[in-house]
Amino acid sequence: MSGQTRTVRLPIAERVLEANDEIAAGVRVELARRSIFAIDLIGAPGSGKTALLETTLRALSGRRRPAVLVGDLATRRDGDRLARWCDRVIQISTGEGCHLEAGQVRLALGQVDLEGVDLLFIENVGNLICPVGFDLGQTAKVGLFSLTEGDDKAAKHPYLVTAADLLLLNKIDLAPYLSFDRAAFEADVHLLNPHVPILEVSATTGAGLEAWLAWLDRGVARARGASAT
Amino acid sequence: MRRVHEFSIAEALLAQVLRHAPTGAQVREVEIRVGALRGIEPEALQMSWEAVTHETAVAGCTLKMDLQPWTITCPECGRSWTSPIPFVDCTCGNTAPAPVGGDELDLVSMTVDEEET
Ligand SMILES: Nc1nc2c(ncn2[C@@H]2O[C@H](COP(=O)(O)OP(=O)(O)OP(=O)(O)O)[C@@H](O)[C@H]2O)c(=O)[nH]1
Ligand SMILES: [Mg+2]
Ligand SMILES: [Zn+2]
Ligand SMILES: [Zn+2]
Repeated sequence: MSGQTRTVRLPIAERVLEANDEIAAGVRVELARRSIFAIDLIGAPGSGKTALLETTLRALSGRRRPAVLVGDLATRRDGDRLARWCDRVIQISTGEGCHLEAGQVRLALGQVDLEGVDLLFIENVGNLICPVGFDLGQTAKVGLFSLTEGDDKAAKHPYLVTAADLLLLNKIDLAPYLSFDRAAFEADVHLLNPHVPILEVSATTGAGLEAWLAWLDRGVARARGASAT
Repeated sequence: MRRVHEFSIAEALLAQVLRHAPTGAQVREVEIRVGALRGIEPEALQMSWEAVTHETAVAGCTLKMDLQPWTITCPECGRSWTSPIPFVDCTCGNTAPAPVGGDELDLVSMTVDEEET
């Protein structure tokens, strides 16, 4: 006999991004095993993610063995720019996708020689919203804002601000030409995330780079210490 | 349709719902809980859900969104309340009370029609 149906409510209680998070957890274990300090760099299109990485890689040459994964919607341009400073660069073409997912990172990591690598930069797709919710297995999330975007962008993107372990404020060299209220920006940030450090940098002039490099050094040292125990 | 931030969430949700749906059952409603930090636009997620479920086994299934508000706490006067937006003034005059939002994005339940046995 058929035709009789009953309606039942099935409790599930599971994260929607569970599948992504599980892959990310695997990536995190692998990176920790290799003592790699991995950064997920998130910022708006044109905020200077690639420019910052170019300057950083140049400064790190001979000091660190970095690898870079770079997500780009349609081109290979960012990967080509970065390959001038680092021979372990993998470009991830995301096509329509507005963020990187853990599966893409796992796949890309399989294509790069991680022997001796101590620092991994992942340039996420230029977007302040979408990438924040997708765990990639990184050790730290770095949010990049820039002066040209306006001082209200932290307030308008609370998820990135609260999820970030460090915020960078780029294009500080343009301060004389813009009416960016740094105190207001900082106040919004610290209302949302009272403890996150903010470092002002200029990817083009190199201003503020020492503090950023020192932060990276501490991260690398921590990653080493963690896997030694 | 335009690739909105909500679209990939709808795709992940669909895969999850199909994974959990008991064989032979018709899924009528899917209930999710969304923390304030996620910044989900309910209309955009609703439209994305309709688009991704179109012509699938769960086409026509309702998406119920339980959107969690921000919790605002004022350190000046000790008041605490909920708000749909994070930056608000307190009635005591403090223009910067602290907003706290959750980052949950959970499939809470599925309501299905099952064949009586
Ligand atoms: N004046 C100034 N310009 C900068 C700075 N950093 C980046 N730029 C410029 O900003 C533009 C965008 O920089 P990119 O590094 O391509 O930005 P991006 O964040 O990688 O962009 P997408 O990958 O497309 O999201 C370029 O023209 C850079 O030269 C800076 O510190 N100061
Ligand atoms: Mg770039
Ligand atoms: Zn996205
Ligand atoms: Zn108050």
